[in-house]
Amino acid sequence: MSQAWDTGGELRRIVRINEEIKSVVATAFKINLMAMNAIFLAKRAGQAALGFSVLSNELRRFATDLQQQMEVLRQMTHGSVASVTALVKSERLNRVVDRLRAEVSGQARAIIERYLRTRQTTAFVLHQEAIATQNRRLGQTIADTAQLVELGSVLARSAKIEAAYGGSFSAALMQVSSDFEHTIAEIHRSLELLSRHRD
Amino acid sequence: MKTAQVIYENGDHRWLAIVRDPDRPEYLIDTNEYVVSVGDDAILLDPGGSEIFPAVFSALCAEFDPRRISKIFASHQDPDIASSLSMWLEFSPDLKCYISWLWAGFVPHFGGAGDTFIPIPDPGMDIPVGRERLRAVPAHYLHSSGNFHLYDPKAKILFSGDVGAALLPSGEDGLFVENFDRHIAHAEGFHRRWMGSERAKRDWCARVGDMDIDMLCPQHGAIYRGEDVRRFIDWFAQLEVGAVKS
Repeated sequence: MSQAWDTGGELRRIVRINEEIKSVVATAFKINLMAMNAIFLAKRAGQAALGFSVLSNELRRFATDLQQQMEVLRQMTHGSVASVTALVKSERLNRVVDRLRAEVSGQARAIIERYLRTRQTTAFVLHQEAIATQNRRLGQTIADTAQLVELGSVLARSAKIEAAYGGSFSAALMQVSSDFEHTIAEIHRSLELLSRHRD
Repeated sequence: MKTAQVIYENGDHRWLAIVRDPDRPEYLIDTNEYVVSVGDDAILLDPGGSEIFPAVFSALCAEFDPRRISKIFASHQDPDIASSLSMWLEFSPDLKCYISWLWAGFVPHFGGAGDTFIPIPDPGMDIPVGRERLRAVPAHYLHSSGNFHLYDPKAKILFSGDVGAALLPSGEDGLFVENFDRHIAHAEGFHRRWMGSERAKRDWCARVGDMDIDMLCPQHGAIYRGEDVRRFIDWFAQLEVGAVKS
């Protein structure tokens, strides 16, 4: 009959993914605020911090893109919960029909076996395939997010270089760009955990 | 998609309401679920039907770590209250379910084994959540013959199951009751038909009327707060129930 699937484990995995999503969303919110402050600081620094200002704007956009990407991931996990729920129902029905098959004989048994070969088993396999497909998409989205975060790291490093040209504001700008780097490193750690939970 | 919203917060003591599902099929009644958390412990109130488990679970995950839920409170036995129990047990097999002793032999048809259920005796009982104790308040025959509500004395919130429920038309999807007179029109038919005992209603109104309640949270429709709690109790006390109006 059908192969057992650890549906409880699947739900707990979805919870762990959501916990990391929340952590990334909170960090993205922090980057957005930091970038806004950085833009004001760059404005005070004037001409010398024009490049820094452009990069801070890009970091704000990065934070927004990251939040949107997390919403996509969250929607995907919602789809996964629906598939797991359908699988559990299907599994339960299979168990009942299995018990029934063991208790009957003759024509009744033939009818049940035909049913198992067609409708119910097919539904079960379809739910399993749906979960596998969703997991592949989830993995791809996490990989896409990793690329986005890499862009964030590049922006933070570039901001550090630009900070060196910030004249009398150089030290303050350097501090802000280091904060960006550390905060984006937190996102890298969350993404590593997300990658581990993707299947 | 359903959303989880914080309706009470005091330090690590929180009430979350999981409400309104615009994507729900029309043939399913809309339900509210609630989570009370204290520190690392949490209880889920009326977890809902199995059809809406994905929406409830996903909405909860967005705001809260459901691994903290150690127990479930089921106000009564209806499928829109407890048929998702089997899914919750898949997720967390050690969950305990508090329900009236009357239904402890019936609800396992939805899922769970003998040690899943903690039967609540007719007079009610305290249910520990972290360092706090919530009180299962008798509400028998409103509408189920074995029925409890759950009172949180610290938060001053009463989870009132089907009492206070309103079947709201689309568009009226606020979390709280904003216009009592308009709202109660959507509650009247429901209470007349579903609340089967005049005497049970009077007992409940007397019992709950003595309690200090800031929010009354039903399983369907919007939440009553402030003066609307007293208005609702008074309205319910004078409503004729247990009769089919032709």
